[in-house]
Amino acid sequence: MTSSSATSRKALSKIASNRLQKELVEWQVNPPVGFKHKVTDNLQRWVIEVNGAPGTLYANETYQLQVDFPEHYPMEAPQVIFLPPAPLHPHIYSNGHICLDILYDSWSPAMTVSSVCISILSMLSSSTVKQRPEDNDRYVKNCRNGRSPKETRWWFHDDKV
Amino acid sequence: MAGHEEEVAMEVEAVQSVYGGDCVVLDRYPPRLHVRIVPRTADVSSQQFVEAVIGISAGPQYPDVPPCVELIESKGLDDRRQKCLLDCILDKARQLSSCSMLVALCEEAVELLSKMNHPEGDCPMCLFPLVPEDTERRDLAFMKLMSCFHCFHSDCIIRWWTWLQNEKQTKVGEVENEKGLESQGNCPVCRKGFQAKDLEHVLTLISSYSSKSSSEGDVAEENGELLQSDSENNRRQRFETIMKVQEENNGLIEPKKDLVVLPGMYITPTITSSTSGTTNDNMEQQQPRDEAVSLETDSCNALNQQKDKAVAPVRNSIGSSKPRGTIEHRNSSTRKNSARNARKPGKHWVRKDYTSRV
Ligand SMILES: [Zn+2]
Ligand SMILES: [Zn+2]
Repeated sequence: MTSSSATSRKALSKIASNRLQKELVEWQVNPPVGFKHKVTDNLQRWVIEVNGAPGTLYANETYQLQVDFPEHYPMEAPQVIFLPPAPLHPHIYSNGHICLDILYDSWSPAMTVSSVCISILSMLSSSTVKQRPEDNDRYVKNCRNGRSPKETRWWFHDDKV
Repeated sequence: MAGHEEEVAMEVEAVQSVYGGDCVVLDRYPPRLHVRIVPRTADVSSQQFVEAVIGISAGPQYPDVPPCVELIESKGLDDRRQKCLLDCILDKARQLSSCSMLVALCEEAVELLSKMNHPEGDCPMCLFPLVPEDTERRDLAFMKLMSCFHCFHSDCIIRWWTWLQNEKQTKVGEVENEKGLESQGNCPVCRKGFQAKDLEHVLTLISSYSSKSSSEGDVAEENGELLQSDSENNRRQRFETIMKVQEENNGLIEPKKDLVVLPGMYITPTITSSTSGTTNDNMEQQQPRDEAVSLETDSCNALNQQKDKAVAPVRNSIGSSKPRGTIEHRNSSTRKNSARNARKPGKHWVRKDYTSRV
């Protein structure tokens, strides 16, 4: 589920790679609070540890995000999913896919891995119930063939979780 | 009493005569005005990077009690520069206490904005400084979107524009490729729509050149190789002209001999008066402290900015962690020479078609 999309993907363009190197350096100087980048030599796939914010439903819990960058990043959004086990959240499917508009239609090339991480943490923090999206089973079944969340036509849930 | 009122009324008229349509009088007495302030050096609109509307409201005790001054709206100014602008105007108001000061305060604002008339920080697309520090990347000229004043490297924003147009074509397909639909893009930072005309000053140079280069059969090796060579040179020349005009007008911008001048680049002005000298210092030195603060607020804000904004707060605070504002190239070559060196001979850009996309 998580790696199949990676096999078909193209190498980073020079622009994408420059930009990512820049982001990586800046991340090292100034990582977003609550996140840890697990260092590998793979610039095109980042694995990032997320710590639930204190005082929220996810306090003291740790999850892992996998961020895959397309050839033409940042024109195209990165693919961001939770590695199993994904947090129980009304916008997060059990296969790790995240229903968050900035990852798809509302992506803008001025956004960065950092800003995406912050948005995801904020989405987690604002949750008032630990549960799966209503259509979880149907959606996850549809994704069995390794479909990327970026191919999903998302219908975004209400802002307020 | 009536004499006092008359005096103040004349002052308001003076502001109106100086600022014309840029001055909106909300109340004659006690005076309340909104004045749109643009940098003095902004005769060419593509070279204008900041602007502000300031509100001045005086009480019946004016001018013994200085008026309230607030920033109604601004473009191209981050929080730090907004605050600096306001603080400096208020300082001026205190200095001038009990003198007629409405015109003087507006002039002070013009003075300040003229000094701030340059983009700040990093390009939101590639995250490299808008005004490069190292000489190797100095071929990256910047531009602003005319609609919202957000600044980008010229080739970065054009790449986004081209990307959007290509994406639209693939989405719409051959079915309804209506010519009547005007091409549109949206600002990567604020999402405000912009149109081809916002990029015109750069795009026209591209299309005129691209026809030439395609007949020569030149192909750029990377999709990033936009805007080098002739177009760049062209703009450099235009910039020289603007520079000349600015020098003639008021000598505000006086390049140092050892500076490398880029199109649209801001050169730290020679300080014109003692008071403005200190404000200038404040502007540049406050920075590190402000950044530490903005970092914290950014991560708090993150909780609120979940979905709706394309702003990348963390990038901003990181991006500003290196010194900026003052540009000190150690390069000692003259302007003309550096312009020539920056052009890489034989390199041409073409518009990249993202044919690889489905
Ligand atoms: Zn750029
Ligand atoms: Zn904008």
